[in-house]
Amino acid sequence: MTTEHNDIVHRITEIVATELGVAADTLAPDTDLRGIEGADSVRLLRVVARVEQTWDVELDDADVFGVASIADLSTVVGDALRVKA
Amino acid sequence: MTAPEMSAPELPWAVLEDYRCFGCSPHNPHGIALTFTEHSEGLQTSFTLGRSYESYPGVVHGGLLGVVCDETMGNLIVVRTGLVAFTTSLRLRYLAPVRVGVPYTCVARLGADGGANPLSTATAEILDAEGAPVVTATATYRNVPFGTARERIALSATEAGRLDQALTATAGSQTRQETA
Repeated sequence: MTTEHNDIVHRITEIVATELGVAADTLAPDTDLRGIEGADSVRLLRVVARVEQTWDVELDDADVFGVASIADLSTVVGDALRVKA
Repeated sequence: MTAPEMSAPELPWAVLEDYRCFGCSPHNPHGIALTFTEHSEGLQTSFTLGRSYESYPGVVHGGLLGVVCDETMGNLIVVRTGLVAFTTSLRLRYLAPVRVGVPYTCVARLGADGGANPLSTATAEILDAEGAPVVTATATYRNVPFGTARERIALSATEAGRLDQALTATAGSQTRQETA
């Protein structure tokens, strides 16, 4: 696990907490995003949109709709940043 | 560069008496006649689209939202650079249905290069009345001086001269603001 990956996980955790209205300390990297109270498709897409704006990346829908957890989404972002670099 | 909040930038196209831009002309009865105001981070437009622009009942057609985002980003580049911005790619992410008859705001921001490069990027988002995003957009534009774009735009010589002057004035205005 790299520092960069940990930073991404940390920032995505904050974004998820803000968009879903939950406390960040209730979230773990392996938390099931769809299982979070208040999570619905619109709110999860807002998470994705905020993630894309934060790192200035365009994520593929096939990747976005396949993620289950913050760790999964962090991996997708990391891959996108490596492609962009 | 700080832009005064809510003031309306002068679009160079306004010097053409009969321009028909679907997005921003007041002269096109089929268009959506967007008007723009300055935003602290770029340019914004507030709009309400009626049932003529419907997709599913009560829902605005997604293609129209692409028009709104593209217009706001493209005109932001134009008013900041005095260049003609041709869209080369446009990507939208739809977050939630946009309702007909309901007001929304689109805010566009320039990418990292500030519109200075011949190929430059911009972003836009459409927000509902509570400020929640319902659409996000990214686009790339090819920015060219009017002389380069001239042969691709159908204008009389008189109109072309008038528009060339207006774009030059726009570019000069921005240079003056940046050096002030």
